[in-house]
Amino acid sequence: MIPAIQDALLAAGAALLQAGGLLAVAPLLKTVIKKMKARFQNRQGPPLLQGYYDLAKLLRKERVRSDVASWVYVAGPRVYFAAAVAATTLVPVLFPVAPLEAAGGILLLVGTLALGRFALATAALDTGSPFGGMGASRDMTIAALAEPALMLGLFASALAAGSMNLGELVRTLVQQGINRHPADILAFAGLFVIVIAETGRIPVDNPATHLELTMIHEAMVLEYAGPDLALVEWASAVKEVLYLTLLVDLFMPVGIAISAAPVAVLVAIVAWGAKVFVLAITVTVVESTNAKLRLFRVPELVSISLGLGFLALAIRFL
Amino acid sequence: MNGLVAVGVPLALVIRLTSIVATLMLVRHARACRWMAIGGSIVASVMTAVVAMHVIGSASAIDGTLFRHAASETELGYSVTPLSAWFLMVLALIAVPVALYSAGYFAHALARPRTAAVGAAFNAMVGGLEVVFVADSVIGFLCGWEVMTLATAALVATEHESRASRRAAYLFLVMSHVGTGCLIAGFMILASSAGSLSFPAILSGHLASGPMRDGVFALFFIGFGVKAGLIPLHIWLPAAHPAAPSSVSAFMSAVLITAGIYGLFKVCAFGLGTPDVNWALVFMAVGTLSALLGVLYALTQTDIKRLLAYSTIENSGIMSLGLGAAMLALAHGHSTLATVAVTASLMHMLNHAIFKGLLFLGAGGVVMATGTRHIEQFGGLMRRMPWTGLFFLVGALAISGLPLLNGFPSEWLTFQALLLGFTSTPGLVRLNFPLAAALLALTSALAAACFVRVFGISFLALPRHPAASAAQESPGLMLGPLGFLATLCVVLGVFPGVVLRGLEGVTASLPGLRPAGAMAWGRLGMSSTLTSFDHIAPALFGFALLGGFIVATALTTRRGLAVRQAPTWGCGGELTSRSEYTATAFSKPLLMIFGAVYRPTRQVDAVAEVSPYFVEEVRYRAEIEPTFERYLYGPLGRGVVRMARGMKVLQAGSLHTYLAYVLVLAVILLMWLGGTT
Repeated sequence: MIPAIQDALLAAGAALLQAGGLLAVAPLLKTVIKKMKARFQNRQGPPLLQGYYDLAKLLRKERVRSDVASWVYVAGPRVYFAAAVAATTLVPVLFPVAPLEAAGGILLLVGTLALGRFALATAALDTGSPFGGMGASRDMTIAALAEPALMLGLFASALAAGSMNLGELVRTLVQQGINRHPADILAFAGLFVIVIAETGRIPVDNPATHLELTMIHEAMVLEYAGPDLALVEWASAVKEVLYLTLLVDLFMPVGIAISAAPVAVLVAIVAWGAKVFVLAITVTVVESTNAKLRLFRVPELVSISLGLGFLALAIRFL
Repeated sequence: MNGLVAVGVPLALVIRLTSIVATLMLVRHARACRWMAIGGSIVASVMTAVVAMHVIGSASAIDGTLFRHAASETELGYSVTPLSAWFLMVLALIAVPVALYSAGYFAHALARPRTAAVGAAFNAMVGGLEVVFVADSVIGFLCGWEVMTLATAALVATEHESRASRRAAYLFLVMSHVGTGCLIAGFMILASSAGSLSFPAILSGHLASGPMRDGVFALFFIGFGVKAGLIPLHIWLPAAHPAAPSSVSAFMSAVLITAGIYGLFKVCAFGLGTPDVNWALVFMAVGTLSALLGVLYALTQTDIKRLLAYSTIENSGIMSLGLGAAMLALAHGHSTLATVAVTASLMHMLNHAIFKGLLFLGAGGVVMATGTRHIEQFGGLMRRMPWTGLFFLVGALAISGLPLLNGFPSEWLTFQALLLGFTSTPGLVRLNFPLAAALLALTSALAAACFVRVFGISFLALPRHPAASAAQESPGLMLGPLGFLATLCVVLGVFPGVVLRGLEGVTASLPGLRPAGAMAWGRLGMSSTLTSFDHIAPALFGFALLGGFIVATALTTRRGLAVRQAPTWGCGGELTSRSEYTATAFSKPLLMIFGAVYRPTRQVDAVAEVSPYFVEEVRYRAEIEPTFERYLYGPLGRGVVRMARGMKVLQAGSLHTYLAYVLVLAVILLMWLGGTT
């Protein structure tokens, strides 16, 4: 009984640390991408801590609530935030162990993010503003299209490792070493497209616009202000870190800490940061060199990703 | 208790029969006959539940006799096997809340003179379904099947002054009887080689072989597929389910379709010997198609009950997909994998019954309060009907397969079956599994979009119609059952292991399956036979979500934070319900993206009298093409009518001609007999 309690406490502590750590890092990543994008456009860009300043400012402001809205409007951002935070405990970051891997694997992770999306889209419909409805409709559309491609990409990696549990999966990959299969390239490309779609980046969505013809995510949260908006922004940033970490876990788990020795942990932190940074650069390059796609061209992009995922499975197992 | 278990099934049927007779005798006293019908239904359902729980718990069947006529040596027996017990349990679990809800609903929403007929028909439908689940021979099965069908048709035609209801009932009867015809043919083929009508003899699995076996499979697949609402046999369902009174619709969508699923299990998957690989592929293809098209059609509906009916087709498809995966596993001899898939399918059946019952009952309350089924005329109901709104939201979350609610574990288990199937099936056939899994992912994401739309448009923001702004919350008698079902959604979502434990005995009783006890571990979670492959423990994860929610609440409700109520920005104008996003607009992007499936047509007419520049009225009509009705059933129906016309030549109406037919036939028969001897 005692070891069980010890394990439970250990898992809870790890979950708290990991969730806290990712919450702390997320605004930085968002600003880094913004800054790199600005450099692409020959601008200075915001200071590196701008993400934190923004959050601090929003958290201090008054809350504005539409007089049309019900409690669903209030609950939406909280559930969205809770889902993003809870999802961080399912993904291995520095160690080949996810703090709450006893709770579930890939499917639970995808389900949790879907829960957050459901909550936010529902809440967006609550103010009666046409923007909210437009955003919710578009967001759910793109999510629906991205879901099968996301699942196929994840299945391709999971079936190769023989586990749908992310902790188990990464442990298998670490054991196999850098001995990778060519099919991984296809699966990675497929998943990368989906990550772009899910995090609302160009060419699917433009995070920097407030033009009703083009915005998706921003339209959905247009009515939010103050602390509620801070929750949404923060959770979106966490989601982005989470997706990039997922790519890192599945395709390049090099450098992950196999023991709890300080050196190993330090190496793991640096390695994780470097890998996420490289992916962030890729995201920035894609975002800076592409134009946003028309909404009705997005299905083509996503179906490419679906095809890549299916090919990866076929090459690997036939 | 044991005595009750031994006589529970006949007793429940006798109570139902008595209650039907009493209801019809009390036809002049609306209140008395309402309570007679509902009381009888509840007592009988509870009795059924007791028997079912006993059989599930002990995993051994209970047999007995329903009716015996000594002189003609006729005997109708019953047998509650663990599989039937599972279906009976689901039936009772939904029938009781539906009956209670009806007590409130009939009083408010049903014309008084109809109470007796609807109450009696409801009891007959449930009783017929019980007989279907417990019958141990073809005769009893078909009797129950027919009683159930006819009672359902009567309920569909409750509002018989509307043409749509009459048409729905007619379509239902035609499709059902095509199905029943297939079943009778299939049973006759099997019975003639078995020399018996009892199920154990008929379904022993080695009576037919080769093309004959495939033919029998096809007959049963069509026969049961009609009842299960599988595409392309579904066309009656979206018309019939919405036409009945809402509480009855709930029972039909939640439980009645499982009559088809039961048949598919009992006969197609486990009654005809080891399934053929091709059968399994048919199941998986039809299941995936039904799931995907069902949800796509649901997405564009604006009639709330019709939408829910289409979503029933979707879920029926998911159950068949699970069963198809099980059959493919059985065909390759993987008993453990088959167990996972069967468990997924049966679990989804239970979960679907719960959340679909909840959603239909919730929709019934909304329809009663607003007097319309059109979701574009709802809006803002969350304020007027807070409890109905809350319970409907729980149902919407559950049906979208989101964690911590009961839709998630069964969809999770279906995914497990598909992925494990991929790893343990040889050859190219295995590629079907990830394909089906990807389409299942698409289906469940589309379902989420669909239910964001229904809930958001119906319950949130401003009322879109005076009827919606005058809506009243349903009475407590109707809210109670909603609360019960919503609670079940949460409990079974957080502790799915409970359901797995219950299903162990059921799967153990089916031929060829080998239940793995490790699937349900502790009270916390469930795994797919191998904990290392995947497992979930929603209760554990609930803590993480709760933690996140508490942090979020603390961040936004700190002391000293001001809250201001303000009107929503109306883009410069005044915000009215007319500027809100509509349900049609919400699903428009998906309508355009899946245009190849929907083939939408749109007609905009500007009506102008004086000059084309002064438009007085704009008429807008949009519809999606009813593909199956137009291209499959249209030609089929016309062919049947043409054949009937052709045969009219024979039936000229002249007695002399008929006598000539008799003479010619007699001569031919004599010649034939002469030739053989």
